Amino acid sequence: MAIKTILIIEDDRFIGEMYVRSIKKAGYDIDWMVDGNDGLIAARNKVYDLILLDVMLPERRGTDILDALRGGKEDLIPHTKVLVLTNFEQDDESRMAMEKRADGYLIKAEITPSKLLSVIAQLDQPTA
Amino acid sequence: MAVNTPQRFARDFWPYFNRIVASVIVLTQLITTIIIAGSLYMLGYAEENLPVFAGILIAQAVLGIIGSLIIARVLARPIHDLLAAIIHVSGEPTTTTPPNPNDSRFAKSGFKDVLQTIYELASDDKQPTQPVVTAPEPGTIVESNLPAHATPTTMLEAALDETVCGFVVMDHDRKITFSNKAAPINIDQNGVAMLSLIFNGQETLDVWLDDCDKNAVHAEHTWQRIGNKLPEEEGRRIFDVMASYDKGAASEVVLTLIDRTGLYSVGEQDLDFIAFAAHELRGPITVIRGYLDVLEDELKDVLKDDQHELFRRLTVSANRLSGYINNILNTSRYDRRHLRVHLVETSVTDVYDVIRDDMDLRASAQHRLLAVTIPGDLPNIAGDPASLSEVFGNLIDNAIKYSNEGGAINVSAEQKGDTVEIAIEDHGIGMPSSVIGNLFQKFYRSHRSRETVAGTGIGLYISKAIVESHGGTIAVRSEEGRGSTFIVSLPTYQSVADKLKAGDNSNEGLIEQNSGWIKNHSMYRG
Repeated sequence: MAIKTILIIEDDRFIGEMYVRSIKKAGYDIDWMVDGNDGLIAARNKVYDLILLDVMLPERRGTDILDALRGGKEDLIPHTKVLVLTNFEQDDESRMAMEKRADGYLIKAEITPSKLLSVIAQLDQPTA
Repeated sequence: MAVNTPQRFARDFWPYFNRIVASVIVLTQLITTIIIAGSLYMLGYAEENLPVFAGILIAQAVLGIIGSLIIARVLARPIHDLLAAIIHVSGEPTTTTPPNPNDSRFAKSGFKDVLQTIYELASDDKQPTQPVVTAPEPGTIVESNLPAHATPTTMLEAALDETVCGFVVMDHDRKITFSNKAAPINIDQNGVAMLSLIFNGQETLDVWLDDCDKNAVHAEHTWQRIGNKLPEEEGRRIFDVMASYDKGAASEVVLTLIDRTGLYSVGEQDLDFIAFAAHELRGPITVIRGYLDVLEDELKDVLKDDQHELFRRLTVSANRLSGYINNILNTSRYDRRHLRVHLVETSVTDVYDVIRDDMDLRASAQHRLLAVTIPGDLPNIAGDPASLSEVFGNLIDNAIKYSNEGGAINVSAEQKGDTVEIAIEDHGIGMPSSVIGNLFQKFYRSHRSRETVAGTGIGLYISKAIVESHGGTIAVRSEEGRGSTFIVSLPTYQSVADKLKAGDNSNEGLIEQNSGWIKNHSMYRG
C-alpha cells in the first residue's frame, strides 16, 4: 500500500508550513492540523496512510492522541502508519511507550524536509 | 550552702563540708567538756587538786576532738570519693584526680561497684542511643588504669555520630567494621552492612580497591558527586568521597564522606535548565535547517556557484549547532545518570552512514580531505547507532577543527580480537602529552586552542561517556605539530551477544559494570 494521504499535526507555523510545502511538492496529499483535538478528530474521520505527529501540542498531547488511537484493545487506525516528530526531550519511559506504538520516532532538529521524504519513502517499502 | 555567690561548683562543697564538720566537732567537744567541768566542780571534785582536774579536762577535750575528727574523716571518706567522681563526671574543672575504681581498697571494700555505676550512668547519658555498645567497655578497660567513661573509643564514636560527615571503616575483606550515623549504609537481608553509593562510570570503589590490593601499600583517592540513590529517589544525598588505603592495617580502608547535597543539587537544577534550554534551541534549528534544505532545492537553478557555497556553509553551521546541542543534552543526561544506550547489532558502516553526508559536507565546506575506509568484512558491533554516530561526528569535527586547510583526515576500522577499533586520524596541530591527560574532562580546553578554536569542551567528555557505556574504550595518540589519532574500541556483537540476550532478549539497558555485564533494568547508568 503506497502512501498517498498524509495528516500532519504540528502547532509550530514555520515548521508546519515547511513540511507541508515540501510534502505537497513531492506529490502527496497532506492535511495539516494545528491542535491536538482537531488532529485526533481528523485522524478518526478519515483514513490516512500516514500521520506525522508532534508531541507538545495544544489541547491534547501527541502521547494522548497516540493512546487514543492505538492504546485500546483495538487499533483504530490499522491502515495508517504513525511517525512521531518532536523536538521535546521525553523521559525514557514515555519515549519508549511512544516508540512501541508508532512506526518511527524522529527528532525534528535532526532531519530536514528532504530527509523526512526519504524516511516516508522507506516506510513505504517494507510492507509493500 | 545558702550563701549567694555568682558561680558555685560542686567541688566547693567539700571544703565547706569539712569546715562545718570541724566546727561542730570542736563546739560539741568544748560544750561537753564545760558541762563535765561544771558538774564535777559543783560536786566538789575540783577542790582537792585543781591543776590535775584541769589537766584531765583539757586532755579529755583535746583527745575527744582528735578522736571525733578521725571518726569523721573515716565516715566522710566514701562521701569524698563519690563527690570526686561526680565532680569529674560533671566535667567541672578540677585539679584532683578522679577515684580509680580499680584501686585495691575499692576492690576490697566493694566500693568499686558504686564508682563503676556512676561512670556507666554518666557515659550512658552521653550516648542514649547506644547503651549496649558502651556497656561492655568499662569491663574491658579494667586492666588499664583509665577511668571507664573516658575511653577514647566511646568518646570518639559519640563525637563521630555528631558530625555530618560520614565515616566508614572496612577491614581487609571489605567488611564494614565501623560506620557512623551520617554514613550511607544499607543493611541487606542477611544483616550485612553495605555501603550504598552509586559510583559514576567504571571508576568505582571496588575497582580502585582491587587495584590497591594489587599495586599499593598506601593510597588515597577522591570521588566527587557520588550519590547514594538514583536522581529521582527521595532523600538522595550527594557526597564527595575520600578513601584511604593502608595495606594490612586493621582498618585497611577508611572512607570519609562529605555531604555536598546542598551544593550539588543546585548543579542538578542547572542541568535541568540546560536540558530545557537545549530543547528550546531545537525549534529554531529545525526551521533553519529545514528552510535551507527547501530553499537550496528550489533555488538550485538560479544560484551561482559561489552562492551554492554560501548555502553549504549555512547548512554545515546549522548541522554543527545541532550536534553541539545534542552534546549538551547528552552531557546533562549523563551527569544525571540518565544517558540511555540502546544496544543493537549494527555495523560500523551503518553507524557512519547516519552522518556520512553531513561529514562529507563539513569536510568539503572547510576544505579538508576526508577519507573513510571501513572494510566490508568487519564483524558487527553492539552499539547504539544514534549515540555512536555522535561520537564519530565529534571526533571528525575535532579533526577538522584542529587541522589546517587541505589537511587529510582518515577514518579507518579494523578488528582486534573481540573488539573493533575505529581510528580517526588527522595531520593537524596535535598536542603535547601534558594536555592529553586532561583531554576527556568536562569543559577542558587546552590553553592554546581556547584562543583560536571555538568549542564547548564537552565533545570528548561525552564521547568517552558514550563509548564506555558501550563497554568500549577511547584512546588518543598525538604528537605536537604532527597530528592526533583518536581510537575508539568497541566490543563485537558476537562477544557480548549472550549477555545481551540474557537481558530478556531486549536490546536495552545492558551496561557493562566492572568485570561483567549486568542487566540494568531501570535504564539508568550508575
